[in-house]
Amino acid sequence: MDDPVIELSNVSFSYDGVPVVQNASFTVARNEFLAIIGPNGGGKSTLVKLVLGLLKPDAGRIRVLGKPPKKVSHCFGYVPQDVSINRSFPISVLDVVLMGRLRRHKGVRIRQQDYEAAAHFLDLLGVAQYKDRRIDDLSGGQRERVFIARALTTDPDILILDEPTASVDTAGRTELYSLLRELNRTKTIIVVSHDLMVMSSYVTAVACVNQQVYYHGKNEITDEMIDMGYQCPVELIAHGQPHRILKTHEEGP
Amino acid sequence: MIEALQFEFMRNALYAGLFASLICGIIGTFVVVNRMVFLTGGIAHAAYGGIGAALFFGIPYIYGTMGFSLVAALIMTAVTLRVPHRSDTFIGVLWAVGMALGVILVDLTPGYNVDLMSYLFGSILAVPESDIWWMLALGAVTLALTLYFYRDLIAISYDMEFAQLQGVRVNFLYFLFMAMVAVAIVLIIRVVGLLLVIALLSIPPYIAEKYARSLGVMMIFAVALSAVFNVAGLWMAYRFDLSSGAAIILVAAAGFFLSLFIDTIINVRHKKQRSKI
Repeated sequence: MDDPVIELSNVSFSYDGVPVVQNASFTVARNEFLAIIGPNGGGKSTLVKLVLGLLKPDAGRIRVLGKPPKKVSHCFGYVPQDVSINRSFPISVLDVVLMGRLRRHKGVRIRQQDYEAAAHFLDLLGVAQYKDRRIDDLSGGQRERVFIARALTTDPDILILDEPTASVDTAGRTELYSLLRELNRTKTIIVVSHDLMVMSSYVTAVACVNQQVYYHGKNEITDEMIDMGYQCPVELIAHGQPHRILKTHEEGP
Repeated sequence: MIEALQFEFMRNALYAGLFASLICGIIGTFVVVNRMVFLTGGIAHAAYGGIGAALFFGIPYIYGTMGFSLVAALIMTAVTLRVPHRSDTFIGVLWAVGMALGVILVDLTPGYNVDLMSYLFGSILAVPESDIWWMLALGAVTLALTLYFYRDLIAISYDMEFAQLQGVRVNFLYFLFMAMVAVAIVLIIRVVGLLLVIALLSIPPYIAEKYARSLGVMMIFAVALSAVFNVAGLWMAYRFDLSSGAAIILVAAAGFFLSLFIDTIINVRHKKQRSKI
């Protein structure tokens, strides 16, 4: 594939001897919009953390922009799955977003350019009016937006979102995905999500993850229907093209 | 209280209490938001092994306890980072082993009879001036490190994975911070006793956490509360002739339960208002 951003070859990972990801190999091209789907506990979040370099694979090789993930961690904007971590933690919305500028400064004082970057993305996500509130005073959907703003503030090449719409209402989802489509012009985007039907028109690749990873590139999803069979029991309907079908998964190598 | 301050030991006790408040308010803020009160208790108790070791091997007290608690802190931190869901067990084990080792080593040292009570409650009314200077220095170092690493410490406390992606040296900072806790505990225990250290590390930051909008505000609030508890406790100890360490702890505990009580009232009111709408 030309200009690969992320390459995995034969990557395996297990927690306490229980295999979570087995022998995963795929390549993500620049400016791809990849959706990762699959059953709960199938290893979606683990796969994402492997790509981010937060977890080390037991076997296999991961390259991001041609380098080990840890060497390029500044290229990632990451929105974790759980945005309700540390609920009682006393921190303002603005301070959460400023974490995205950690690489650039030390100390207590906020630099003007960091403040402006944070304010810009809070505004883009429509949560600028909450910037001085404590983060746990916000609703789940608002917190999600703050975390996306934080990820964008790092000015990433690759934006990775782990179930970003879990606590967002339907109108919010559509809005969020059209924002992601905008961002996709310049950034590679990976979204772990169950909402394939909302984003089916933007997605350029789908990875079905259930220990094994089944990667479906561009032409498969545009022409065929998204139905994962028993490996990924997800039923989806796409606008306009109600019956596209993905190629069935071949048995693992 | 004012007339009490004409005694040098009372002035020293006041200074010691205020510096302990400064250090415990800052460090305790991180301890509380990172849910490390148990870990801190473990280090503080295991440090007693250092007292035994210092007596038994005839080395100065400060090296024995400092070395022992630093090692205990490093082991406990390593376990916490490696196997988070099992760390409480390991901390419990080290906690007990450290203390038992201390007691046995004291037993084995001929002619010594260390008063365990003074380790638990300290002797704030008999603080030598040199210890005050030590605490002042420690307070300054703690403050400087906290100011320099302020944003990194927020990030690793709030969201360690994101901090890691931002290139924060998570493990280095974690160990640095735990070393700071260990050093602070050893120095402050000598002055105010183990139990007061744990009380000051946990109670004021806990109360402050609920009302603060940032970690910095929480620290300032915790330091101030801690100072109030110290002064009030010392006054009561002087006025009613009580053990000073225990008096300060009970004043802090009163503040703790008062804050819980106020929270309950506020919650009930909120619910009532909501049900009216």
